[in-house]
Amino acid sequence: MLAVMADVPLAALDDEALAERARAGDDAAFAALVERYQERVYRLALRLSSNPSDAEEVLQEAFLQAWRKIDTFRGDARFGTWLYRIATNTALMHKRAARRRPAGSLEAFLPQFDESGLLADLDYQRSARADELLERAELAQRAREALDLLDKDYRAVFVLRDLEEMSTEEAARVLEITPEAVRQRLHRARLMVRGYLGKMVGES
Amino acid sequence: MKNCQETVALLADYLEEKLTSEDHAALDEHFAGCPRCVAFLRSYRETPRIVRESTGAALPEEVRVRLERFLTEKRRK
Repeated sequence: MLAVMADVPLAALDDEALAERARAGDDAAFAALVERYQERVYRLALRLSSNPSDAEEVLQEAFLQAWRKIDTFRGDARFGTWLYRIATNTALMHKRAARRRPAGSLEAFLPQFDESGLLADLDYQRSARADELLERAELAQRAREALDLLDKDYRAVFVLRDLEEMSTEEAARVLEITPEAVRQRLHRARLMVRGYLGKMVGES
Repeated sequence: MKNCQETVALLADYLEEKLTSEDHAALDEHFAGCPRCVAFLRSYRETPRIVRESTGAALPEEVRVRLERFLTEKRRK
């Protein structure tokens, strides 16, 4: 079986078949998985750890962990989900990302309501056009700040679900939480990030 | 009839179409009479796109080369 399989180009194999070979000690198969996922893992690491040098360390550490733990990949999950879980945990435990943020640093940007439940969002017309009003570079800077200020539980959900565009169910599998918890954290994260971007526009 | 606060609380489920048809209709009804919440919904929907386009970058070639070297060295040990 293996002799026949050996003729199949690695690029033609699916992730799980490559992982199976990597588990059997095939370094080329593992290298093919790295090739396949390095872009995505780097982008994820960059968003979770917020600067390129930390992202590079996370990228290296995540693939090293994946290689060391490949025996524990059992094929009952998709390889991508398993790898994203390792990468996400590595990024969140990395020195800078793991640093405690001031409690509630973005909570001040949640929407405000009056006693009758009316939205007291006076800058709403301006904040709705945040991307039209701000220079691109300035907006990018503020978006990165917002990510950096998000508490890591919110950041992980927001990055996986809204930036990496996973489904709610896949984000839940990566983070090992319920889809309902993903939806709740995602909503709060969006409210805080939206408020931060909008508020900055209102103040400028 | 939902107020703004109740409406905003349900936005994620509204966009994912997880609401009951009754709640969905109640939000639509609120939006029809509330420009603030329409603007809020718009900026709420735009937020992920703005951050997505502002963050994340392609893997630089030198980082890719260092990753390959790093993994090769670690696997030799």
